[in-house]
Amino acid sequence: MELLLLAVGTIAAGVLGCVAWFWGSNWVLDTILPPRGENAGDNIRRASMIRPWLFLGPAILFLGVYLVYPVVNSFWLSLKNAPSTQFVGADNYLWLVGDSKFRESMVNNFFWLLVVPALSTLFGLIAAQLTDRIRWGNIGKSLIFMPMAISFVGAGVIWKLIYEYREAGEEQIGLLNAFVQWIGGEPQTWLTIQPWNNFFLMIVLVWIQTGFAMVILSAALRGIPEETIEAAVLDGANPWQIFFKIKVPQIMGTIAVVWTTITITVLKVFDIVFVMTNGQWGTQVLANLMYDWMFRGSPDYGRGSAIAIVLMVLVLPIMIWNIRNVRKEMR
Amino acid sequence: MKTTILTSAAMIALTTAAANAQLIFEPGEDDRFNWASYEEFAASHTGMDGQSLQVFGPWLGGDKDLFESVIPYFEEATGIEVEYNGSDSFEQQIVIDSEAGSPPDVAVFPQPGLAADLAAKGSLKPLADDTAAWLAENYAAGEDWAKLVTFAGPDGEEKVYGFPYKADVKSLVWYVPENFEDAGYEVPESYEDLKALTEQIVEDGETPWCIGLGSGGATGWPATDWVEDLMLRMNPPEDYDAWVTNELPFNDPEIVAVIDEFGWFAKNDDFVAGGAGAVSSTDFRDSPKGLFDYPPACYMHRQASFIPTFFPDGMEAGVDGDFFYFPASAEVDLGQPVLGGGTTFSVLTDNEAAMAFIDFLRTPIAHEVWMAQKGFITPHNGVDPEIYGDDTLKRMGQILLDATTFRFDGSDLMPGAIGAGAFWTGMVDFVGGQSAQEAADAIQGTWDTLK
Repeated sequence: MELLLLAVGTIAAGVLGCVAWFWGSNWVLDTILPPRGENAGDNIRRASMIRPWLFLGPAILFLGVYLVYPVVNSFWLSLKNAPSTQFVGADNYLWLVGDSKFRESMVNNFFWLLVVPALSTLFGLIAAQLTDRIRWGNIGKSLIFMPMAISFVGAGVIWKLIYEYREAGEEQIGLLNAFVQWIGGEPQTWLTIQPWNNFFLMIVLVWIQTGFAMVILSAALRGIPEETIEAAVLDGANPWQIFFKIKVPQIMGTIAVVWTTITITVLKVFDIVFVMTNGQWGTQVLANLMYDWMFRGSPDYGRGSAIAIVLMVLVLPIMIWNIRNVRKEMR
Repeated sequence: MKTTILTSAAMIALTTAAANAQLIFEPGEDDRFNWASYEEFAASHTGMDGQSLQVFGPWLGGDKDLFESVIPYFEEATGIEVEYNGSDSFEQQIVIDSEAGSPPDVAVFPQPGLAADLAAKGSLKPLADDTAAWLAENYAAGEDWAKLVTFAGPDGEEKVYGFPYKADVKSLVWYVPENFEDAGYEVPESYEDLKALTEQIVEDGETPWCIGLGSGGATGWPATDWVEDLMLRMNPPEDYDAWVTNELPFNDPEIVAVIDEFGWFAKNDDFVAGGAGAVSSTDFRDSPKGLFDYPPACYMHRQASFIPTFFPDGMEAGVDGDFFYFPASAEVDLGQPVLGGGTTFSVLTDNEAAMAFIDFLRTPIAHEVWMAQKGFITPHNGVDPEIYGDDTLKRMGQILLDATTFRFDGSDLMPGAIGAGAFWTGMVDFVGGQSAQEAADAIQGTWDTLK
């Protein structure tokens, strides 16, 4: 009951606040620069220059407090020592370059970037094309999309159980080893086999992201004008040619958006690795490494922030490209 | 309206219960208890009526209830009111609270390393000058305990800033006596015998050990306990101290040999249940279950005194699964080293009542009340071991009392990035195939960057 009141109160305060800001700031502006009297022309011109900033004001303020300030502060912290008491310059970055776990994380992140967006987009595209053709396509689509509804942590736990290991001959509680044992193979400790364990972790994210890719690409496929396909059919194109030469080129922009969106998710991958291996057995990734230095043992804000900044610098160009692509799509 | 009345009734009931907290053992009744110490403490701490005191610690659930059964004796004796609060993120919270200038009066540290950090920042108050001497005299291996709680203050001067209370013993090997009987094995008397027994079991076509390093985010820590225990059996305690502070580098041949010794057990497919590959992925909580399989998946499991919590349902410590002391070497004369852990009480404010509480912890009765229940062992040699709630605890306590050398869990004494990071990871990499030298080099590499 209290929660409900609080929620209603918050919404009311938010809406009323916005209205009050809109009305109040306009009123103030109009009082200071009245659109009448001898300076009416000048005043209107000046007021219309100020007005957009008044409306943007709150947004810029919150963006500053929640986005810009943390970035600047992280950068500042990354130049200081562990408890942030002393300025150490580029020491933390120099340490990064020499740290073997950082190098391992960079290599692993690189492979994640290579594998996950490619496979998710590919599987998504295939699923989108196939499910549009078959009768139970909608059921298939729901099944493929369902993992999207599971949190990354939940997915990590599920897949950790799938890879679970019991000694050979014992009853296997892990799906994968149960299968391996059933066909007469030797159960494996999947999550500790380097470097393949990295790919076993990637599968989890592919499993989650395929649904996302499928939904977006399926919409794009439906948006393709029928005429182009009919023309191709009349010209005697076979289904493969129609798909690769007519359909795919027309949705290339959407594919790029899907690809880059997943890429950004991948760069930030943390939960899956944290839950399943916590970066042990050579599976460390940047976000998890940052968490380790930031919060484990005696916290080292300097090094944690340095890794965070590296992560941000890596995400930035992809983010910019992604936003450009989305805008192009919208036009 | 009705609910409000009921709630307030419940609240009143609760507060009255707290006000007249019961002394669970009536003073003077059971003569095994050292009631004289209680009377003496009460007589020497008068005129403190009405003062109050906040204690903050990591204990929740069962441990919290048990600690709160000790507190009333202090309250009754002094008239001081004590409020205990527990948190499972104690380590973060105590730093935040003391930096924010609102520390509790007394804090219970599970790791001396963290207390040392706070002492250096000036957040802790030094304890009475005679504390070190008192510990040396009244605790088994007391000088080791005193050294453990001696930290450098903000001025760099070394003083005693903590009072150890409630210990854990880690140098234990768990086994099923019935299985040992059936196979005709005897509890090994020396480290050499332990290794011989290991080989004997393999010869008989069985698997000697269950080792599991898995622990979620903390995967690898059980291996650090192994290495610390072996370190104390292969090298003098001074080297252990030097190792913990990195005066002796982690990749010194001495340490590498110890890591290799651990590899002798853990990296041999015949020696461990599931083979060496399973060691790092098996959860430490699942690991002891192999002892109780039929036929047994393994015969021995090295783990601290808390592990019976994770025995399969219906298995009782001391009956179905018992333990023996992880034996010391007969060839290298290093006495009876014991690896352990424990909590340390420190004072954070200038509250007179807080110091009185530390005084209280010196009395045998403060230990005996908890001992007589469960989950408590103490190195205090002024208590009657007969009071231990069960035989298992009593024997663990005896191991602590018999110790000629006591060393605290080394990974808890190292800097966090090593003890709760690089050391774990290094051990996982070592079991996963790296050589001891490579693993040690990597850990030392990280330590170098911390200096």
